[in-house]
Amino acid sequence: MKNSEFENILDECLDRLARGETLEQCLHRYPEQAAQLEPLLRMAQAVSKASAILPRSEFKARARYEFRSALQVEATKKRLPLFSLKRRWAMALMVVSILLLSGGGVAMAASNSMPDSPLYPVKLATEQVQLTLTPSALGKARLCARLTDRRVAEIIHMACKGDVRQTELATERLDGRLVMLAVLVSAEGEEGAPKAMMALPSAPVPAPAPAPSPAPSEEAQVAGGVPAEANGRAELKRLVAYYAANGRLALNTGLGKAPESAKPALRRAIAVSEARYEEILAALD
Amino acid sequence: MQNEESLVRQAQQRNEQAFAQLYEAYFDKIYRYVALRIGDRMEAEDIAQQVFLNAIQAISSFKWRGIPFSAWLFRIAHNQVVDHLRRKAKRATVPLEESLVASDYDPQLIAEQRLDIEKLLVASRKLTPAQQEVISLRFAGGLPIAQVAKIMGKSEGAVKALQHSAIVALRKVFLVA
Repeated sequence: MKNSEFENILDECLDRLARGETLEQCLHRYPEQAAQLEPLLRMAQAVSKASAILPRSEFKARARYEFRSALQVEATKKRLPLFSLKRRWAMALMVVSILLLSGGGVAMAASNSMPDSPLYPVKLATEQVQLTLTPSALGKARLCARLTDRRVAEIIHMACKGDVRQTELATERLDGRLVMLAVLVSAEGEEGAPKAMMALPSAPVPAPAPAPSPAPSEEAQVAGGVPAEANGRAELKRLVAYYAANGRLALNTGLGKAPESAKPALRRAIAVSEARYEEILAALD
Repeated sequence: MQNEESLVRQAQQRNEQAFAQLYEAYFDKIYRYVALRIGDRMEAEDIAQQVFLNAIQAISSFKWRGIPFSAWLFRIAHNQVVDHLRRKAKRATVPLEESLVASDYDPQLIAEQRLDIEKLLVASRKLTPAQQEVISLRFAGGLPIAQVAKIMGKSEGAVKALQHSAIVALRKVFLVA
């Protein structure tokens, strides 16, 4: 047999192994070459298995955040082709310009805008500027925790309107904020890195079990209100715990009001929120 | 994941969610490929990340001309690896641990010797650069031979020959003291 023929057989067997066939099945197909094939296929299986490494979970969390930030900067660059300044400061300049020219009216109006509003990009840009201008990791973490509340409100708003796509996008933004919060908690903390970030649940999750608590109110405020200004890690934890509980309550309230078509997306938002907050609070312990 | 072509087109329109999906789909594979090529897991993380940051800049130049997106992405990774290796000082030869040596020749023993990534990294340094490339793209990157051939700029026959010789060479590395 020519070398090239054997090489074709070897390659075909490697593909079959990758698709889940057993070594014995492969060898059975080519009994005349089995003696020569077997040691090579075993070696290849060992190499595949040894190669199945993953990057460090703490690296992956930071990398995701960095990647998403880079995407946002790139998206901004496309919308602002005339600016040649550094992208972050170009966005900051735009927002400051809006504030100066409008007397803050546009930014104020934008702060309450929802994802389907034309002012929504201004809202996101304003938040980004606030984060950029906040000096410390602790300060950014506090701000991030507050901003998750806005994402939750947006998710509920879009779900109640029956806009599944915008609900999903808002959930992605919430997840992005929570990932950023986890990275900031890690950066601010004394010990090590956040625990591994779970992948987002990809399928609609089953309805959560009914909560034993009293029926949630329209405002869905947790008793005790917003904790006092978070000074230090312990206070940050209380702040995060507050927003986690408040968000959970609000999302579950929204689940009762949203149309059936939006409920799977809203349940996914609940699952994402709970999973991420659990990781963040564990990292703050 | 949505149809990949649809995702790529959306990513080219600066759709962040589409690009984020592509990132999640390919990051670990790119990382594995880079780690096996450069022999350093920590540096591989940074290089893999740089691949995607470069992809953000370059994605508008990607054209669907029968080349899958994955092959384009791995091509960027390949170039990053080549740049990295050029910048690095000549690698010292690391002697193999005795535990890699089989006491008696047994075709099953190699696979059962708990070949882990560290041993594989050491052993792969004994391969030629082209053999390392094929092993990294095929087994770490999980790419089919056709895409490996496009990335390496070789015929499929040539890549299959390299694949064969690489596996034979790795067996020899683990058998010979």
